[in-house]
Amino acid sequence: MVSEVSDANTTHDANQHGWQRWLPTMLAVALVFTMLAAACVGAVRVPLSLLLKSLLGGAPLTDDQRIILLSIRLPRIIAAAIVGSALSVSGLLFQGLFRNPLADPYVIGSSGGAVLGASIGVFLLPSISIAGFGATTMFAFIGAVTSILLVYWLAHVDGHTPVVGLLLAGFAVSTMLSYSSYFLEVMDHDFGTGMKVLSSWLHGSIAQPTWPQLLIVFILLCAGLLGSFPLARHLNTLALGEEYATNLGLSVQQIRIAVIVIGSILTAAAVALGGLISFAGLIVPHILRMILGPDHHRLLPSTALAGALFLLIADTIARTIIAPSELPVGVLTAFIGGPFFLYLLRKTKQGVMS
Amino acid sequence: MKPLIELENISFSYKDRAVIRSINAAVFQDECVAIVGPNGVGKTTLLRLASGTLTPESGAVRLQQRDLSTYKQREIAQSIAFVPQHVDLPFSFTVEQFIEQGRTPFRGLFDGLKAGDRSVLRRAMDLTDTWTLRSRIFNELSGGERQRVKIALGLAQEPKLLLLDEPMQNLDIGRQFEMLDLLDTLRREGIAIISSMHDLGLIEGTFSSVWLLSQDEPMRQGSPEEMLQPELLEDIFNCPPRHRPRLMERTLNRMEYAL
Repeated sequence: MVSEVSDANTTHDANQHGWQRWLPTMLAVALVFTMLAAACVGAVRVPLSLLLKSLLGGAPLTDDQRIILLSIRLPRIIAAAIVGSALSVSGLLFQGLFRNPLADPYVIGSSGGAVLGASIGVFLLPSISIAGFGATTMFAFIGAVTSILLVYWLAHVDGHTPVVGLLLAGFAVSTMLSYSSYFLEVMDHDFGTGMKVLSSWLHGSIAQPTWPQLLIVFILLCAGLLGSFPLARHLNTLALGEEYATNLGLSVQQIRIAVIVIGSILTAAAVALGGLISFAGLIVPHILRMILGPDHHRLLPSTALAGALFLLIADTIARTIIAPSELPVGVLTAFIGGPFFLYLLRKTKQGVMS
Repeated sequence: MKPLIELENISFSYKDRAVIRSINAAVFQDECVAIVGPNGVGKTTLLRLASGTLTPESGAVRLQQRDLSTYKQREIAQSIAFVPQHVDLPFSFTVEQFIEQGRTPFRGLFDGLKAGDRSVLRRAMDLTDTWTLRSRIFNELSGGERQRVKIALGLAQEPKLLLLDEPMQNLDIGRQFEMLDLLDTLRREGIAIISSMHDLGLIEGTFSSVWLLSQDEPMRQGSPEEMLQPELLEDIFNCPPRHRPRLMERTLNRMEYAL
C-alpha cells in the first residue's frame, strides 16, 4: 500500500509490524525454494546442486533426468502450487462473502459442483485435447457457480448466513453432487472408456498435467487473482453486514455476484487439476488471519502464496511418503484439515445457533 | 431556510402490519430530534426510511428537496450516516479498520486511503475520543466504547444528517452523559441528528425536538417541554396504573437532574 506522507498517516501502519509487511516476499522466496527442493525428491533423486547448475545454464542433465524434471515433476509441482493458491484465495473470498470463517470451497459444496460439472464435461468431451480440457474447466465453472448459488439461496436468511444453515446446506449439496459424480464414474467404468480421471477427481489427487493444460489453468488463476484485488476491500465493508454495507453506499448485490463468479473460476481451476481437495481453503486463510488480521486486502497476496506453498508441501509428501505408490493429496489435507475444521467450529460455537 | 430532510406523508408496513402511518415531518440543519415511543412502534423503521434502507409504500422522503429514491445509494451515504444499534463483526477487525469503512462512499474501485481521507478519519476519532482505541479489536470493546466507535464511523462519512438507533443502550449513567456531550458537539459542528431514545430523562437539554410515536394515534411532534408531559407519556406508553405515580416521578426527577 503506497501511502502519502501526512500527519495522520504514521498511525495507520502502526498496527502492522515491520516483518508482516515482508511476509509476501518471504512466502515467495520460500515457495521458489520449496519448488526446487520438491523437484529433487521422488523415485529418481536429482541432487539439488546439479539442478541449480543446470538452471544456471551450466551442467548437462542426462536424458532421463531431463524427462523426469520437465515432463513429470515440474508440471506436477506447478499444478500443486496453482491448485493450492486457487483454493486458498477462493476460500478467502467465500469466507468474506458468507461472513464466516468456515466457508471453504469444499465445505460449501462449490468444489463438489465443480467436480460434477467437470465429470459431465469429460463424459461429453474427451479431456485429452486442449479444447476438451478447456471445456471441462468451463463445465467445472458452471458446476461451481450453480452449487454455490444453491447453497447461498438455502442458507441465506434475512441478510444473514447462520453457521448451522451454511454447514447443513453445504453438506447436503456436496454429498448430493459427489454421489452424482460417483454415478458418472460407475457409468464410465461400464462403458469401458478407461478414463481414470473421474476417480482421481473424487479422491482429490493431482493428476499429471500437460503443459498446455497448466497454461489454461494458470491463466484462470491469474484472472481470478486480478479480479480479487478490487474485491478484497469491499469484503471488509461487507463484513459489517449487508444492511450496514448498503448504507455505506456499497452495491452489495454486484459485489456478491463478482465474488461468486471469481471464487468459482478459482474453484474450477483447482478442481480441473486436483479434484476434490478438502479444507485447504480453510486452513491457509485462517492461519494468515491470525498473523495479519482480517483485512482482506492485506490477506490476499499472502494467501495466494501461502496456499501454493501449503499444497506443494502436502503434495510432495503425498507422492513420496508411501513410494513407490502415491497418496491422493486430498487424503492428507483431510487428515490435517478435518481436526482444524472441528477446532474452528468449536471456537465459533456461540455463533452456531444464531 | 430549507429543510435538510422531509418526510412527506410516508407510510410503511411489514407484511400486513402497518407500522408507519402517514407521517409528515421535516428536519433542519441545526436540529437534534429524539424519536420516542413504546417498543415495536416503528422507531427503527422510521430511521431506516429516512436513511433510504427502506422505501416508503406511499409518500416520499426528500433529501435537500430531492426525492431520496432518485439518489444512488452511494450519494445518500455521502450525506446520511446511519449508526445501527447492533453490529455483528465476524472477524477481529481493529477499531481503525472499522472506522475506515466510513470512507467507503468516497473511494473509487481501486483507490487507497488518501491524505484527505486520513485527516477526516483522524477528526472523526478525535471528536468521539476514539483515537486511543484505534489499535484495539472492535469485538473486545466495552458497550460505551463500541457506541463511540460506531459514531466515529458515521462521522467519517462527513454526513449532514446522523441517524442514531438507541445510542444510549447499554451505557452506564456516566457514559450516557458523555454521549449527550458528544451529541451537543456534533450539533455545533452543523450535523443534524435524528435519534431513537428509550431514556426520556436524557432528552431535555440536548434535543431540540421530540417525535412522539404511538401505537394507534398519529405522530405528535414538538419541543421536549411540550412532548414530555406525564399525562401524554402515561397514555402513549400505556403505563400500568399502580406504577404510574412512582414511575413518572422518577422520570421527571431525572429530567431535572439532566437539566
